[in-house]
Amino acid sequence: MGGYRCIRATPGGTLVAAVIAFILFGIGVLALVLRRDLVIKLLALGLVNAATILFLVSIGDRPGAKAPIQLPGEVAILADPLPHALVLSAIVVNFAILALALVFVMILVERYHTTDSTRIEQEMDRETDEEETPCL
Amino acid sequence: MKRHRVRIIAATGIVLAFAILVSIMHLGNAPDPSDSTRYLSRALEETGASNRVAGVYLNYRLLDTLLEVLVFSVAVLGVRHYLQQSEGMELPDLSESEVVRTAVVFLSPLALLLCAFFAILGHISPGGGFAAGVIAASGLLYVAIAHGMGAIEAQLNPGRMARTEETILLALLIFALSPIAFGKLPLSDLLAKGTPGRLLSGGSILVYNILIALKVFVGAWAVIAVFAQHRGEL
Repeated sequence: MGGYRCIRATPGGTLVAAVIAFILFGIGVLALVLRRDLVIKLLALGLVNAATILFLVSIGDRPGAKAPIQLPGEVAILADPLPHALVLSAIVVNFAILALALVFVMILVERYHTTDSTRIEQEMDRETDEEETPCL
Repeated sequence: MKRHRVRIIAATGIVLAFAILVSIMHLGNAPDPSDSTRYLSRALEETGASNRVAGVYLNYRLLDTLLEVLVFSVAVLGVRHYLQQSEGMELPDLSESEVVRTAVVFLSPLALLLCAFFAILGHISPGGGFAAGVIAASGLLYVAIAHGMGAIEAQLNPGRMARTEETILLALLIFALSPIAFGKLPLSDLLAKGTPGRLLSGGSILVYNILIALKVFVGAWAVIAVFAQHRGEL
């Protein structure tokens, strides 16, 4: 199983991965909050998830460690498997959120014919106003 | 305008919190829970799986994984429920080029073979049930792109697929609870640990990997099929 050795991390590589994760996270959160397009918001959510995964993988690493797959009798420094197992949850939950959110975006687009969140909010306000007016 | 400013402040706050988390974990005194050292030092004897990650998520933290499968099922159920309520578009049946149809003949069996490889050897090499299921679903997606959704739905009835998914979920839960019948704690390992590195090792991990691969395959395919039906064609 010597093939897995090529994945061995370089010293300081984990810090670089963490910095990249931070930059991706920042871009993702800013796009999620500031952009008005719902599809862009979902893509930003995916970016935040990717950053989280990179961060989890980077904290599981240690200098000179190889992937946590070990044969009996083999002595090697292994990466911490616990964050790697957490990554799996992150991926599955992200899949679930993205699939459901995409369906909701599709329903909103069918009804309001736009992906702009501000315009959808305005349309919804107008609808509630129209519903309330006859009662007065 | 005020709302916009509040959003910027909230976003900056979230990014700063993440920055603090990153610096605590990497520069300060990183917490080293004793669980992690246990997973590193004793996992091979306790789980029998050479793939330590599979050992963690299908043995020590099996409950997490089962709930994760439930989250996945709920998502599939939600997508199916909401998309079937809204009307789909009617598009003409688009047939792909000869190149795509020829490539699919090679790619789809390869995807199914990789699925079997990752599911069966998930406990001794990189892989596992979740990855295997997604690979198999993408193999079926290639066929759908080349020959159209109608060709696949003629073979795989969507209603029957939904029932299959529920049956696999039930089988997974029953298998997880079956140790009670043998006087053990639920979620504990039922099968023999075996020699690490061999095919029959790692206790129940092999069975869980295969069941999860089937579950994710059927679930992911259900999501793809419902989206494709809604849109008319892929």
